Amino acid sequence: METNLPWIILLSPLASAVLILLFAHRSKPLSVALSLAAVFAAFVSTLLLVKAGTVVQTAATWVDLGPALHLTIGLKVDALTRVMLLVVAGIGALVHVYSTVYMAEDAGKSRFFGALSLFMFSMLGIVLADNLAMMFIFWELVGVSSFLLIGHWFTKESAAKAANKAFLTNRIGDFGLMSGILLVWAATGSVDFGGIQQNLGKLTADPSLLTLAGLCLFCGAVGKSAQVPLHVWLPDAMEGPTPVSALIHAATMVAAGVYMLARIFFILEPSPVALAVIAGIGATTAVLAALMATQQDDIKRILAYSTLSQLGLMVAGVGVGAWGASMFHLFTHAFFKALLFLGSGAVIHALHHEQDIWKMGGLRKTMPKTFLTFAIGTLALTGAPYLAGFFSKDAILLAAWHKNMLVFGAALFTSLLTAFYMTRLVVVAFLGEARTPAAKHGHDCPAAMTVPLLILAVLSVIAGYEFFAGSIFGAELFHSVHAAEHVNLVPMLAVGVFLLGTGAAWALYAGRVKDPVRIPLFGNRFYIDEMYAALIAGTQDLLASFSGWFDHFILDGVLVRGLSGLTWGVGYTLRLLQIGNLQGYAFLFGAGVVALFYLLIK
Amino acid sequence: MFAPITLEILVLALGFILLLAESFSNSTSKRSLAKIAIFCLGWVFALSFFVESAPSNPEPGSFWNFYSADPVSMVFKRIALLTTMAVLVMALEYEAVLAKNIPSSRTGAGTGEFFILPLFTCTGLMLLASAVDLVMAFAALELVTISFYVMVAYMRGSHASLEAGVKYLILGALSTGFFVYGITWIFGLTGETHFAKIAVKLAALQDSDTAILFALVLVLVGLGFKVAAVPFQSWVPDVYQGAPTPVTAFLSVGSKAAGFLLLLRVLEPFLGVAALSNKILLVLTVLAGATLIFGNLAALPQNNLKRLLAYSSVGHAGYLLMAIACIGVAPSALGSVGSTVGFYLFAYLLMTLLSFLILTIATQHTKGEEIHHFNGLSRRSPFLAFGLLVAMSSLAGVPLTAGFYGKFLVFAQAVNAHQWTLLALATVTVGAGFYFYLRVVAAMYWAEPTDTSPIHVSGLSKLVIALLVTGIFVFGVNPKPVLAALQSSPAPLAATAH
Repeated sequence: METNLPWIILLSPLASAVLILLFAHRSKPLSVALSLAAVFAAFVSTLLLVKAGTVVQTAATWVDLGPALHLTIGLKVDALTRVMLLVVAGIGALVHVYSTVYMAEDAGKSRFFGALSLFMFSMLGIVLADNLAMMFIFWELVGVSSFLLIGHWFTKESAAKAANKAFLTNRIGDFGLMSGILLVWAATGSVDFGGIQQNLGKLTADPSLLTLAGLCLFCGAVGKSAQVPLHVWLPDAMEGPTPVSALIHAATMVAAGVYMLARIFFILEPSPVALAVIAGIGATTAVLAALMATQQDDIKRILAYSTLSQLGLMVAGVGVGAWGASMFHLFTHAFFKALLFLGSGAVIHALHHEQDIWKMGGLRKTMPKTFLTFAIGTLALTGAPYLAGFFSKDAILLAAWHKNMLVFGAALFTSLLTAFYMTRLVVVAFLGEARTPAAKHGHDCPAAMTVPLLILAVLSVIAGYEFFAGSIFGAELFHSVHAAEHVNLVPMLAVGVFLLGTGAAWALYAGRVKDPVRIPLFGNRFYIDEMYAALIAGTQDLLASFSGWFDHFILDGVLVRGLSGLTWGVGYTLRLLQIGNLQGYAFLFGAGVVALFYLLIK
Repeated sequence: MFAPITLEILVLALGFILLLAESFSNSTSKRSLAKIAIFCLGWVFALSFFVESAPSNPEPGSFWNFYSADPVSMVFKRIALLTTMAVLVMALEYEAVLAKNIPSSRTGAGTGEFFILPLFTCTGLMLLASAVDLVMAFAALELVTISFYVMVAYMRGSHASLEAGVKYLILGALSTGFFVYGITWIFGLTGETHFAKIAVKLAALQDSDTAILFALVLVLVGLGFKVAAVPFQSWVPDVYQGAPTPVTAFLSVGSKAAGFLLLLRVLEPFLGVAALSNKILLVLTVLAGATLIFGNLAALPQNNLKRLLAYSSVGHAGYLLMAIACIGVAPSALGSVGSTVGFYLFAYLLMTLLSFLILTIATQHTKGEEIHHFNGLSRRSPFLAFGLLVAMSSLAGVPLTAGFYGKFLVFAQAVNAHQWTLLALATVTVGAGFYFYLRVVAAMYWAEPTDTSPIHVSGLSKLVIALLVTGIFVFGVNPKPVLAALQSSPAPLAATAH
């Protein structure tokens, strides 16, 4: 039974996706039912697997080209997998339920649920894969389903563009990932994790190759987890429906990069250079994204930059060697960030697609349940003591304290900013007086939307405690989360910046109707998007004119025309042999016989 | 459990019974004949999994000296049965065209045999798969060929069909003459007709290289005609275009598979003669190269889809010959030349039957076989268009299709055997193949249709198309089952039987 469970988890969403997209898409209720059934089947199987606590590896040979290339289809379930499975299947199930109401009126509801099932299949595939080749395939599939879901409202130009941007930006990272996989394979002759670990000596023998391979693999995480400089796609991805933002662009897919780094940490560990680069990029992303978040007005964009910043923290955590702490933060973050996104979705839903926080206000009174849960999520994210985020952030801060003071400083500064921008969001959107008629007529959403909020709120409170997280992580992994020696100063500093950030935002924003602070540099995201646009446009023009010339004269003129002309010429001439006359054919036949005799006997 | 020959006897008996039933029946519709035949062939296919295996050491003079039933020949028998069933499905779709082109006083008169003759071809193919003796092989091959002569010329009212029939008959008779002459030379040299015994005797012969080569050339000419190798391919485009489409499909799959199977069997004894193997490989390389070039490049200017598929058939014979030209080399990790040829034939069968089935259905609505008649097919019938898309992609060799894996195996054999010239040629011809196959796809999906009325496809045809498409993908992703069946040697099965 236990050997079958991982296959049930993986294949039930696939079955649902195939059934919906091929057959059931004409019936909305049937599509929804299929999709829900699949996600709950996966979730229940995951729960059974957690209880069973076994480590399962099932493999079937896929391609066998001798010792050079042996690809297997195998699933691996260990403590790390179980944590991620629970996050993906659990939040996936809640988001599915939430979406039944959020997408109730949507014309493309069947397509939405089909794509959601496809996403669940691909994401669970990444988590369960026991080798890099399979992981890469699912990595790409996740990219495809993310593309489909961001562009769900594809008639809207900005959504279509955002989907393209996400896909193309990820391609850059994926290219690095593929090169990394090929390098690892070339050095160790294996792509499955067990085999790589056995032959790791061949890779570590050449430190520069090791660093190169590690950094190439990291490129994949930079793309998928939206780290600087490939972070630009994530804020735009908020064009997708809000449940998608919660599931894919906050809790699961963007965390896949961090999960992958944890999975391959044994390859990264022997290379201090690679780890330093990872820590640097993570810390940079954390600080830059938090700065950008302080000046956004769109409720979903604030959350998107916050996600970027938290992902930066997790990556930095891997960089300082504390991948256990990073996984812990991934785990807690998934709950409160999904909660915040679903909460913002409830607000957007109630306010008829209003996303500007300055056009809200006073929602505390009109949407009390949403406000309560959103406030809990905010407190958990900002690191209020004794909530989930406090514990996990503390683990990363501690590890950084022992390893790298620069990263520690960046992480602490990020925490300060996080407290600031999240308090700003809550104060402006939920407190004070309603500033528009829409905000005045806000209301809590139906139970299918509020129940997931309440469940996530409870989880955001308890997810950090040992009785909960410890039972899911398992003793061994949970122990490695808290491997760093405890220093009393660190949590005190964390609480200090939380109070400072919250207080400053409260003082600055309470009772305001307009933003008193204008920092165009932050508001405009450090002009990075504009820089890319200019850079790409400039290089493109130059490259385009060169390749235009090359294509026209060299490729088209000499190579293509020449070659195709030659081939066509030969083809036409050969065709003339088919004269259609029987005597002619018999003659050709005889000539052939003579030619064969000549060739063989002479 | 029963003797394997029972399968052939059953198919043959089915043919006779249906012929008799047809002559005594008053019904004007002959469709039930084909349906009964399909149904019974399905049963024979199921029975093929319950036959005894051949004895490992047959008594001298016993039937087993002509006939073997090793697992590989069982695979080919099953392939013959499935192909015949698919051809009969096509024949059902083709009935309207057939009736129009056969002048008769009563509707439907004279069409009955069209559904029965494939059964005799099938019997021939099945016997050929088991033949281990030249006489047996020749008799089986002629059973196949003669039933084809009738089927190609079946549409008496169509000039094209009659012309094709005459061309096929005369050139076929010519090639058969060469083949029999070759057999007599082999018998004259060795005094044997059993393949294994010929091999022993040939290897022991002294100072008769010229005579051996002479015999080989004669046999190669005869078989070169069957597999459509250049320079014996000239009949292919005209006959393929003129023959009724189901017959064309059968011809391109059945005749080719029979020819290659026999070619592998016949070449084996000759390659045993060490002094000659280089010369033999050279001539095979030349044949393969010429066939590759002709089949693929002459297909470029074709505008008629049926004719295009004829050239494509020659082109694929080129890839198969390319694999055969590597025959002297020890098997690599990917298996022997024999299993490569077997897999390629299997993949070729799937995609060719798929193309011809869709061609048969679609042309009755498009009123023509030119590529431009298929303009906008995707809007008239997305199902048919997708099927043809899969068939064309597989023929061209797009990854994840069975056609790709077949080509991959052939190329791997060529690399293994250091056939660099053939590899270079094949790279060019594969490129050309992409051009002419995908032209059809472009017409279906990007061109505007002149007629937008939807095309109805019958349930049986839908099922067969869906099965073929699935097969192309399944065996393109996971070719293991077919390769394993083709690689299994007779010994282990004989051992487990006791």
